[in-house]
Amino acid sequence: MSESTVSGLGRREILKLAAVAGATFAGAGVLASASANAAEDGLSLKGKRVAISATGTDHYFDLQVYNAQIEEVKRLGGEPIAVDAGRNDGKLIAQLQTLVAQKPDAIVQILGTLSVIDPWLKKARDAGIPVLTVDVGSTNSLNNTTSDNWGIGKDLALQLVSDIGGEGNIVVFNGFYGVTPCAIRYDQLVNVIKYFPKVKIIQPELRDVIPNTVQDAFTQITAILNKYPEKGSIKAVWSAWDIPQLGATQAIAAAGRNEIRTYGVDGSPEVLQLVADPKSPAGADAAQQPAEIGRVAIRNVAKLLAGQTLPRETYVPALLANKENVGEITKKLGIG
Amino acid sequence: MSADIQFGSLPAITGDDAPRSKGNLAAAALRFGSLLAFASILVIFSLTAPYFFTIGNIGNVLGQSAIAGVLAIGLTIVLIAGGSNVVTGGIDLSLAANMGLSAAVYASLIQFGYGDATAAVGAILTGLAIGAVNAAAVVLAGIVPLLATLAVMNIVAGLELVLTQNTVVPASTDLLTAISTSDGFGIPVLAYILIGFTAIVAAIVQYTPIGLRLYAVGEFPDAARAAGLPLKRLVAGAFVASGLCGGIAGILSVSYLSGSTTGSGEMLLPVVVTALLGAVFSGRLVPTITGTLISALFVGFLVNGFQLLNLPSTLVSGVQGVLILIVVSATTLLRKREI
Repeated sequence: MSESTVSGLGRREILKLAAVAGATFAGAGVLASASANAAEDGLSLKGKRVAISATGTDHYFDLQVYNAQIEEVKRLGGEPIAVDAGRNDGKLIAQLQTLVAQKPDAIVQILGTLSVIDPWLKKARDAGIPVLTVDVGSTNSLNNTTSDNWGIGKDLALQLVSDIGGEGNIVVFNGFYGVTPCAIRYDQLVNVIKYFPKVKIIQPELRDVIPNTVQDAFTQITAILNKYPEKGSIKAVWSAWDIPQLGATQAIAAAGRNEIRTYGVDGSPEVLQLVADPKSPAGADAAQQPAEIGRVAIRNVAKLLAGQTLPRETYVPALLANKENVGEITKKLGIG
Repeated sequence: MSADIQFGSLPAITGDDAPRSKGNLAAAALRFGSLLAFASILVIFSLTAPYFFTIGNIGNVLGQSAIAGVLAIGLTIVLIAGGSNVVTGGIDLSLAANMGLSAAVYASLIQFGYGDATAAVGAILTGLAIGAVNAAAVVLAGIVPLLATLAVMNIVAGLELVLTQNTVVPASTDLLTAISTSDGFGIPVLAYILIGFTAIVAAIVQYTPIGLRLYAVGEFPDAARAAGLPLKRLVAGAFVASGLCGGIAGILSVSYLSGSTTGSGEMLLPVVVTALLGAVFSGRLVPTITGTLISALFVGFLVNGFQLLNLPSTLVSGVQGVLILIVVSATTLLRKREI
């Protein structure tokens, strides 16, 4: 693709592309949720003990998945064994070990760094306990329920490129490439901007951290704004989730550099509120449906225990909230 | 506990017999009380929590306590040599960060293509070097251990960030797999490592002249100096030993977490709690290696039992806090009475 065709691809075309992609995606989503509802009839976890292991619940996404799973297990008549590792890898592994000793009917692992948890998921599987995951594509998991992160990454990247008119410097937070969904979203950003040679990722990339993500992002963005003081020298800030986006948005607003737009993923209520604010630099937030993801994962456990075969991955649709449609989306998510 | 017995027979510190024996009685009551409390918690969990009293689960708890246990034992050595005054006494706040950096060095060396032997030497040397810096800051520069090790902790945590860029560095080798497996009975290899390590350190600290001197330096520095003991060398040695423990814990943690991960600093407070709580399991309410092991297991069984009873894990740190408060206030009250 030559540069002239790229620059010829205007904002409208990019948005059109995004709309087509979005429609396809939404169509697939409707199918997915329809089939989930249809299959719900007759599902039961009566007499079953289902272990729910959360990496942490300090983030909106994790907490929604975790709570929805506990409720869904109870609703289907089962007994949840829920453990929360508080984002401590050592504690997470200890809890998984103890869960294996408890011999539940299934273990559902919510998130986690693949290289850390995978050997222990394998041990659970070797002990004859079916393992399912949320947002971790492990070979030791029978089914992974997740948002379509390829779709999320692509949609968010197209929105970003469209908003900045296909050219300019962007700042990228890439601190958790070891976490599969973050890696996919980042790779999709790189895939999209490959075709927009005038879009440049400022090097070195920033690394978002846990905990104190918001404060840390605020500090890092403030520093980079000082390094690039000219208006227009930075067009956008991208992060694989929306908590660094929150800190970045605050830093940009505090520095009076509202020409810069921020982009993230997850649909935390506070970030969606910023997207809704016409004066805020928050450009877009790909909102996942964590509670639905949690419920679908538990229904998958019930299906598995009823002898059904599960697909490798179950996708729950995500909704890209931008300045234009954010009201509609928050209403759909029930947090408006 | 020979160190306890030897100190008990020292005429210089016996002082007035009546209040001392009263204190000893209370200390003994506290000691046996805490052992009794530990035992009754085990019994309660065995009766109420399914799977608690199984070989596999007990082995699991031992294995899960290995990393914190090795670190707490390192801290105990510093507590012994530095004395138990929380502000001016011995403390090594850099231990958890030491473990993080040592683990990062190990995992990075594996990533660079080196073998287990080189990586293990790298991790141990890292731990020793951090211990040596602590020793120099405390002994040569004369900085209070609390501040010296706090500063070193920040340097070490910073170095870990530089080395790993705050990301997970995965590592998988034969040695690491061997350490993280379980034997035929379902007991993790880490459990054996913890027991073996404790036995060796306890033998050195509680049954050799070096150990006795460490206690003397920590508790009665003036008497130790008058007796001609090399105070500085002993205190420095304690920090280096503690650094070594950090290095060893680093290797164990790489095995347990299949690489080096972020957030090692979070281990610090649980390790301090474990080492301080350990004093309650000794006859004279002083830090001992076996006391620290019991304390590490106590905390480990508590966390494990809570999970098996399906109680929220959020309760655990609160319970740990209450325990440490009870223990510290009890020991403080008893000490006052002794004086």
